[in-house]
Amino acid sequence: MPTTVLATKLIAPSPRRRLVARPRLLRLLDATIEPGHRLTLVSAPAGFGKTTAVSEWCARLAPAGDEAAPASVAWVSMDEGDNQAGRLLAYVLAALARAGLPVDPAEGDPDVAAVLPALVNDAAQACATDPEHAWVLVLDDYHAVTDPGTHEAVAFLLEHLPPQVHLLLTTRADPPLPLARLRSRGQLAEVRAADLRFSPDEAQQFLSDVMDVDLDAAAVTALDRRTEGWAAGLQLAGLSLRDLADASAQEAFVADFAGSNRFVLDYLADEVLARQPPEVRAFLLRTSVLQALTGDLCDAVTGQAGGAATLEQLERGNVFVVPLDPARSWYRYHHLFADVLRGRLLAEHPDEVPRLHLRASDWYDAHGHVEEAVRHAQDAGDHERAGRLMEAGLGDVRRARRDDLLLAWLGSLPDAVVRHSPVLSVAAAWAQMMHGDLDAAEALLDVADALLRAGRADPALRATWPDTEDLRTIGGAIELYRASVAQARGDVDGTLRHARAALDAAGPEDHFIRGGGAGYLGLGLWAAGDVRQGLETFGLAVESLHAAGNLVDELDATIELADMWLSAGRPGRARALYDDALRSATSGGPPYPRATADLHVGLAGLDLEADDLAAAEAHLEAARVLAERAAITENKWRWYAVSARLRSAVGDHVAALDLLDEARARYRPGFYPDLRPLLSQKARVQLAAGDLAAAEAWAVTAAVDTAAEPTYLHEHAELTLARVALARRADDRAQWPSRLALLEAAAAEGGRADSVLEIRVVRALAELALGTPDDARGTLTLALAEAPEPDAYARLFLDEDPALVALVPALAARLHGERPTSAPALLQGLPDPLSERELDVLRRLAGEQTGPELARELYISLNTLRTHTKRIFTKLDVSTRAAAVRRGRELGLL
Amino acid sequence: MPGERYEVRVAGHLDPCWSAWLGDAAVGHDADGTTTLRVTVADQAGLHGLLGRLRDLGVPLLALQALDLPPRDDP
Repeated sequence: MPTTVLATKLIAPSPRRRLVARPRLLRLLDATIEPGHRLTLVSAPAGFGKTTAVSEWCARLAPAGDEAAPASVAWVSMDEGDNQAGRLLAYVLAALARAGLPVDPAEGDPDVAAVLPALVNDAAQACATDPEHAWVLVLDDYHAVTDPGTHEAVAFLLEHLPPQVHLLLTTRADPPLPLARLRSRGQLAEVRAADLRFSPDEAQQFLSDVMDVDLDAAAVTALDRRTEGWAAGLQLAGLSLRDLADASAQEAFVADFAGSNRFVLDYLADEVLARQPPEVRAFLLRTSVLQALTGDLCDAVTGQAGGAATLEQLERGNVFVVPLDPARSWYRYHHLFADVLRGRLLAEHPDEVPRLHLRASDWYDAHGHVEEAVRHAQDAGDHERAGRLMEAGLGDVRRARRDDLLLAWLGSLPDAVVRHSPVLSVAAAWAQMMHGDLDAAEALLDVADALLRAGRADPALRATWPDTEDLRTIGGAIELYRASVAQARGDVDGTLRHARAALDAAGPEDHFIRGGGAGYLGLGLWAAGDVRQGLETFGLAVESLHAAGNLVDELDATIELADMWLSAGRPGRARALYDDALRSATSGGPPYPRATADLHVGLAGLDLEADDLAAAEAHLEAARVLAERAAITENKWRWYAVSARLRSAVGDHVAALDLLDEARARYRPGFYPDLRPLLSQKARVQLAAGDLAAAEAWAVTAAVDTAAEPTYLHEHAELTLARVALARRADDRAQWPSRLALLEAAAAEGGRADSVLEIRVVRALAELALGTPDDARGTLTLALAEAPEPDAYARLFLDEDPALVALVPALAARLHGERPTSAPALLQGLPDPLSERELDVLRRLAGEQTGPELARELYISLNTLRTHTKRIFTKLDVSTRAAAVRRGRELGLL
Repeated sequence: MPGERYEVRVAGHLDPCWSAWLGDAAVGHDADGTTTLRVTVADQAGLHGLLGRLRDLGVPLLALQALDLPPRDDP
């Protein structure tokens, strides 16, 4: 999309040079900014003057350059290309920012789930500081939207934007929004076809003032009746009438038109076209294939010079061209007129249509606008050309993070075109992985490999592939995707092999492949049990991502890196990583990166292990609010898993088991090594709940060979099996100490201090159960002495038989001694005590910050903050913030 | 061409030159000032595409009839 045209999507069409004042319509539209109104729907068929009426109203409401106007207008012109919620939101954000609402513009195709709540928060904040100002968000030609996700996003905005932001849609079809509900609540203003029809008086005024046609009242009435007040019809009639020599010719025209049965548009458009000089008529038909018109582009398509002058002349003559920018360098045809022209072109010169599109495609390609070039190539039916253009544009589109566009492109190409190009085959493999189809992805990688082999033998074939950065680095890219597929299948050897091959193939500057290769290699080494090498290699991956300026993946990688440090027995290092990442993720204010929620979950896990349950709960709550719309898909299960551990820690095993089932439903295999299988975690909760039968049932089905060489991937399950064996006092428990010694040796070799600590705890438990408490004490003492950060662990011991902790007095003193507890619920003196989170909010309410500031600080939406506040008010039986703080002080809660 | 056949009636005499634009519809004018379009579309999505084009032209829609409905199995 040319940037000039892009900018014009956000500008209300320049007011026509001459207009008919229609105070009746302006008054109807004024309802838009009345208090309580949410939505104005301007709904009527094509050519009823919807956009003209609304842009005139907007120009009066907020005249350009008038800083003091009581309202601002954000305008978005929609077209079929905007059928992705992310695209629409990018335009909405840009339009609101232009209108002076302080929102962050989005880059590329933004993540809808992350942007929507941030947008609502920003708007709420801006409206709170300037409550008298109104904003009108106009979505023009909303009928172009057919995508349900986009409708949902608009419905969300309608529901959640603050009352000072009013939505106005112009459309040819009523949109699938909750109109009946809005209507019944009096929140909907409607301007429909009946309102937009020109009355005979308005028609008279329009014809004389705008079209310079003076007709007597009877003729105007006949015309108005025949066109049924249809603006486009009156304008077309005016164009024909203007060119007629005298009053009698005009009367004859009106009489003939009024007596005809022909469709109004056909009759009048033919009249108008017939009156154009042949070269202008040819220009109109041939340029109708274009969505946007500028002189040079028109010249390229028609093969004639003078396009700019023709466009200007058409605008002056009121022939249905709409200027798109104030400089009048870009235009488009009025939609209705464009359809007439395209219909006539297809009927008269069907064979020319593909050629015209190809010329347009060439022009856009030469001017660096690949998206338009591709679209015209597709319209020409030339998929090979579209494929070549995509191939050349792939790198830029990917760097701009236009994932939706890439997926749409790859979905539009015929198989044969994809399978002719190694670069497109690899891109299609990426698309299949995004869809979760590993087999299809792998098959496409095979295609790419086969093509490359054929190309080595056949220089002529090779010469048909555009020489792009993607082609030069394709060897590494294929290995990288293969590593990803292997990891998704739990194939550790394959992951390592392909990750190494990717690194071998990558040049020093190929940060994307270096980062990805090192990432998979690090994960693979870790999954294979070697956390030392895993950390070293994964650190290189993070450096490469940083070098590539890829903050998003860098944050994602933090979560994996922190997990590895945890595995190395260094929760303190993991915490420092999470803290740093959280600071950098939130320093710029919302919208926060998607990984932010996952960072909170990571911190919750660390707090939980340290037995700081209140802090863990606060992080989980922060993550929940963010994650409602923002967590990364492959991480969604983590919140449920950590919440389950929290519930289990407070003895609510039923809730913990439910949460683990929720986690399983959200688990996506393959993104990370599955080192703490959820079923194994479930069995541990069942043991804690005393449901030995359920845990035994799991033990029977757990496919773990306790006689084979120990692997890290099976370690969690083995340690659960050991606990089950101890709980059921099985005969084979005597074998466990030796098996545990094997596990311990393997863990120590890989530098997995976390594993070593837990294995020794289980071994001490076994020794206790076998009646050798001195051995148990020795094992536990050693475990604590050799663990790098023993004091970071509490739940590891507390979740077991109390006899374990009692073995080592120093441990017992640490875990059962003086620990700070915050406002025990029983001491609050309330029938319904405040939760930890509510106490936290109450303390903050005692400060000076505004609601939006508090919400931002707590990483929650304003609505969630209001929910908390409402609950606090109810529990304290007060109705204002000041009274809540007073009551809190009385109760000693503050 | 395989597909589903429909008859669409619209107000006004629509010019036969729209045929190609409207999926090669057969355009017939009726004495009551209406137009009957007979068209074969691939499926329901194709039908909605056609209706969208008519909407975009501002043509008032009067009636829509499927021509290949299987005979009803009245009990």
